[in-house]
This record gives sequence, structure tokens and C-alpha cells, in this order.
Amino acid sequence: MLHSIVEIMTPFLLAGLGGLFTERAGVLNIALEGLMLIGAFSAAAVAGTSGNLLLGTVAAVGISATAAYLYATAALHLKANIFIAALAVNLLAIGGTQIAAHLLFGTKGVIEFAGFPSLPSISIPLLSSIPVFKDFFTDHSPFVYIAFLLVPISAWLLNATPFGMYVKAAGLNSTALFTRGVAEQKIKVLAITISGITCGLAGASLSFNLGAYVPNITSGRGWIALVAIFLGYKRPYGVFLVALLFAAAELAAQNAQGIAGAPASLLLAFPFFITFIGMIIFSALHALFLRLQEKNRY
Amino acid sequence: MSTQFLKGRRNHFIGVPKLIVLLLITLVLALAASCSPKDAAQPGDSEPAAEKTADSTSAAAPEEYEIAVFIPGALAGSPTYQMLADGVKKAAREYESATVKIVEGGFNQAEWQDKVTQLAATGTYELIVSSNPALPEISRRVSSSFPNQKFLLFDGYLEGEENIYTFRYNQFEQAFLAGHMAGLVTTSSMEGANSDLKIGLLAGQEYPDMNQAILPGFKKGAQWVEEGIKVDFRVLGNWYDATKAAEMADSMLKSGVDIILTIAGGANQGVLKSSKEHGSYVLWFDTNGYEKAPGTVIGSTALRQEKAAYEKTKQAIEGNLQFGKAEVVGVEEGWITFLKDDPHFTSNVPESIRKKQTEILEKMQNGGISFEMPK
Repeated sequence: MLHSIVEIMTPFLLAGLGGLFTERAGVLNIALEGLMLIGAFSAAAVAGTSGNLLLGTVAAVGISATAAYLYATAALHLKANIFIAALAVNLLAIGGTQIAAHLLFGTKGVIEFAGFPSLPSISIPLLSSIPVFKDFFTDHSPFVYIAFLLVPISAWLLNATPFGMYVKAAGLNSTALFTRGVAEQKIKVLAITISGITCGLAGASLSFNLGAYVPNITSGRGWIALVAIFLGYKRPYGVFLVALLFAAAELAAQNAQGIAGAPASLLLAFPFFITFIGMIIFSALHALFLRLQEKNRY
Repeated sequence: MSTQFLKGRRNHFIGVPKLIVLLLITLVLALAASCSPKDAAQPGDSEPAAEKTADSTSAAAPEEYEIAVFIPGALAGSPTYQMLADGVKKAAREYESATVKIVEGGFNQAEWQDKVTQLAATGTYELIVSSNPALPEISRRVSSSFPNQKFLLFDGYLEGEENIYTFRYNQFEQAFLAGHMAGLVTTSSMEGANSDLKIGLLAGQEYPDMNQAILPGFKKGAQWVEEGIKVDFRVLGNWYDATKAAEMADSMLKSGVDIILTIAGGANQGVLKSSKEHGSYVLWFDTNGYEKAPGTVIGSTALRQEKAAYEKTKQAIEGNLQFGKAEVVGVEEGWITFLKDDPHFTSNVPESIRKKQTEILEKMQNGGISFEMPK
């Protein structure tokens, strides 16, 4: 059970962690979905033709990060509206992958590769023997562990390094950055590029898991990741917990279809319903928190 | 923030974003232009592929006969639509006067009626051909505004509209064949079969034909083999999320299912992935799917959609198609079959199962067993 949840949550977590950097830098990154799709296609295309997963991952990260960098540059240096630019990324990702698939593989549908390398299943020696953590560290793809590792790394980057401070300052008070002599736009571009890197990883994990490329393989996971950032109080561990919660809801809904006589269409909406409820609780808690803070001031 | 933005615009950045947008548009156009000649050469593409070949035998046909094939969705990844387009084109190729235009309607069902109306409004098409259970109703509505427009619709049912001919496949029988195969496998001692009498059906979405014909037919077929077999029916919610399909298949297989009939479009890929991992089996619908995963896909039903499209289009061009009629065809009429001669079937399935499956197929072909398609 928990084992499947961990597999399901990985793409959300990866994309969410990258999006977290841009969010903290003051940019709502709605391009996560498109960047992920670009990553998924590049990963499948390169790994499928070369037979090398590592090469595919590098391509996915590289191409997705480049796309993110271009979008960030267009928005921040060339002053294009950032939402329109991000929207362009999403639309170009759908159209671009289709054109590329047609030109490279002669199909706009599912692309299967003969002898697509399968993802290795790894267990972490010491941690997998602890009962509580067993399901988190046994028989998972490397992407799961990369995602896990990125959680503390993101927390450390954001909270304990000058770079993290600059990112947060860019979101909170750009004048502070200016007086420090740091270019706000550079920090933002860097943050968006980071989201491109993690979205590339998320996309690669999706297509490697299937061993094929299916059009629209991301199916809105980028948007859910965006929600996870907010529900997770814009903190890496929060994003982790929300991704875990969402994946659990997803799995519960899938299993419920097999047991209960409940209508499938209702169960399919369950994970989104959970997200919606979470959003309300989040806002309520936030309001409460602010009121308490106000009270304590006097 | 806003003043800074304005300043930037007033100074030297003016035009640069516009320039980029223009550049992108040119790039996309250039790409589109560079692909289109290739597209036209390939059969079954969305480009207006007007195909004419000289053929002197077509004396009965009118001077100009333009056909529009409306694809409710996209050709890519949909073998049944591909067969439809191929069949119509094949028929049109035999008549000098006939031309075919393929129009893809996209996945937004709300837009289909507008698009069909647009086709009818041009007045250039003698015949609009399509294939989807939703199309008869749409065509009826379009028909009231354009009473001269003729429609040839597959996979749908509507009787008594003088300009609409429908040709529906008895999917209850098709699903029955799949269910019978699944029943034989789950009760067998095949390597991937377990002792649980559970079989699975994964659907992309719920729609009337799925709930009223395919699911009951599948159940009926399985219970024909053994009364106690249960069907684990799950709905994916779309036709493309292969990752979720893999998770769902995994959840089904863990609960004791050992064979899954998958009707989920591109997401079928996910079912294949999980089934391969579990060493269990998959049944394919509508087209030959054995090649998708030899040894995992151990059964496949098929529609003769290309042949149907070809023959009916030919009749329409020659003026012999009885508009207003609604046909329902099944296994007996030869439009639906189970692919029992494929080498992957003969090499991966034990003889006893093959024999029983062939027996039931032949009985249905002879008319010994038949089922009513629920309307």
C-alpha cells in the first residue's frame, strides 16, 4: 500500500520542489505542466533510441531546463508577461512534442520502443530494515530516492545558503536585494531554471516507468504539483507531506473502485476533492494564525 | 512594479517581445509548412488528402462526389478512426469523381456539433462520414438545418431519419467473446492465472455503450464459462493517463485479477506495463493487439471497420445506400470477430482454451448463439 503511494507521489514531489523555488522567488510558475511534458518526451526519445537511461535523464533535464531558462529570460529580461510566457510554454509543449514525435518517429500517438531499458529497482540497505521506513526505501526506482534527497537539499538551500536567502528576498522584498547589489532578475531566472531541472526529472520518471511515450503523459500532474506548493505552506517538507496525502487519496480512490459500488465518476474526483478540502483548511488555519499573531502583538 | 514595467516598455524594450512572438509564429508556420507535403503523401492524415485515380469502371457515379470524413477525436492513436479513414479513401480511389477530405474534430465533444454544422454549411460535401455513438444525435440536429446533407455513420444507431444511415456494431457480442476468453483463462492453470475467479475491465470513461453493452457482454461471456466469475470494472477518467492506468491495473492485479480487457486508448500502454510486471494477461479490443506485447496480450477481438467503411461508401457513391436505415451487425454477419489465427494466439495459449474459444466463435458465426444489442 505505502509502497504504491510512494511511487505515485514521486512526480508530484519532484515538480513541486522545483516550483517551490520559483514560488519563493515571487513567481507563480504555471509552466510546470509543460516543462514536465517536455522532459517526459525528451527522456523517452533519447533513452528509447540510445537504450541508455542516464542519457535520457540528462537529455530530459537539459532540454526542460533550457526551455525553462528561455521562458524565464523572455519574461524577466525581455519583459514579456510572465503568465503569457508560461502559457506559451504549456501550449508549445503540447504542440512541440507532437510535431517532434511526428518528425522523429512518424506518429502522433503512443511511441513504443523495442528494448526500452527498464528502470532498476533499488533498496537502501540500512533504512529499508527499519520497519516504519521499510516501504519508503525498498524496491523503488532511482527517481524516488532522488525526490527524497531533494527534500532536505531544497530545505537546506532555501534556509541555510545565501542563494536561498536571495530567492526568498526576491519574493518578499526586492529592494533588499537591490541594496545588497544582487540582481533580482538573475535570481528569478535561476529559480525558474531549477524548476525546469526538477520537472525534467519528473517527466523522465513518468516515461521511464511506462517504457514508452504516451501523448499528454503528464495529465495535469504539473497543476497538482502547483497546488501542493501552496498546501505545503511553501516549504519543502510541506510539499512532501501534501504529495504523500494526494498520492494516498489517489490510491484509495483507485482501490475503492474495485470494492465499493460507488459510482466511478465520483471516486475519480476524490483526490481533487481532498485537495479542495485541504485548500480550505489551509486558508482557515492561515487566517487563524494571522489573527493570533495580531493578538500577540498587543 | 507597474511603473518599472512601463518604463521598460517606453525605453528600449519596445518591440522585443513582439519580435519574439512574431519569430515564434513564423517558426511554427514554417514547421507546419515543411510537414504538410509529407502528410499528404501518407494515408490517413488530417490534411485534405484529395485522392483521385483514373478508373473507367465508375460509370454509374455522379460527376462530382465530395466526401468529408469527420473524425470525432484524432486519428493518431485511434485504430478504429484510422480504419474508417482508410476505408473511405479506398472506396473513393475507385471513382474518378470522388474526393475525400478528412477533418479531425478534436477531443472536445462540445465542439463536434459546430464542426459538423460547418461541414454541412459549406454545401460542397455530398456525404459526411463519421463513427461515434454521439454522432447520430448530432447529425439529426444538423440535418434539421441542412435537410439535403447526407450522413453515413458507423458505431451509432438512429432509425428513420431520411438522410442518415447508421451502421452499428453489436459490441455486446464483441465483449462477450472477450469475456469468454477471459473466463477460460482465469479458470485455467495457465502460468499467469491464479485461483481467484476475478477478471478485469478497464474503461477510459463511462459511456452508454460501455455500461449497457460492453460491461454486461463481458460479464455474460465470462459467466458462460463459469457462473462464479466476478468482473472488476474500473474507470480511468480519460483516454491518455497511462501512468494512472498502470497504477489501476496494478491495484486490480493485486486484488486477484489475472486478465484485463483494456479499452482506454493511449492509456492501454499502462495496463500492458503492469501486466508484464505481474506476468498476467491482457485482452485487446477493436484491433489486432497481439504485437503490442507478445505473451501478455493473449486475445484480441476485431471490428471490420475498414471493410465496412469501404463497402458503405461505395454504395453511397453509386447511389445504392438506403438512407434512413439503421443496421446492427454482429459476429454472425462477419463484422466482428475474435482473432484466433494470429501466431501469438496459437503459440501463447494452450490448445484446450483455443479449442473452446474457437468453438464459441464458430457457434456465433453460424448464428447458434446471438445476443441482442441493447438500444
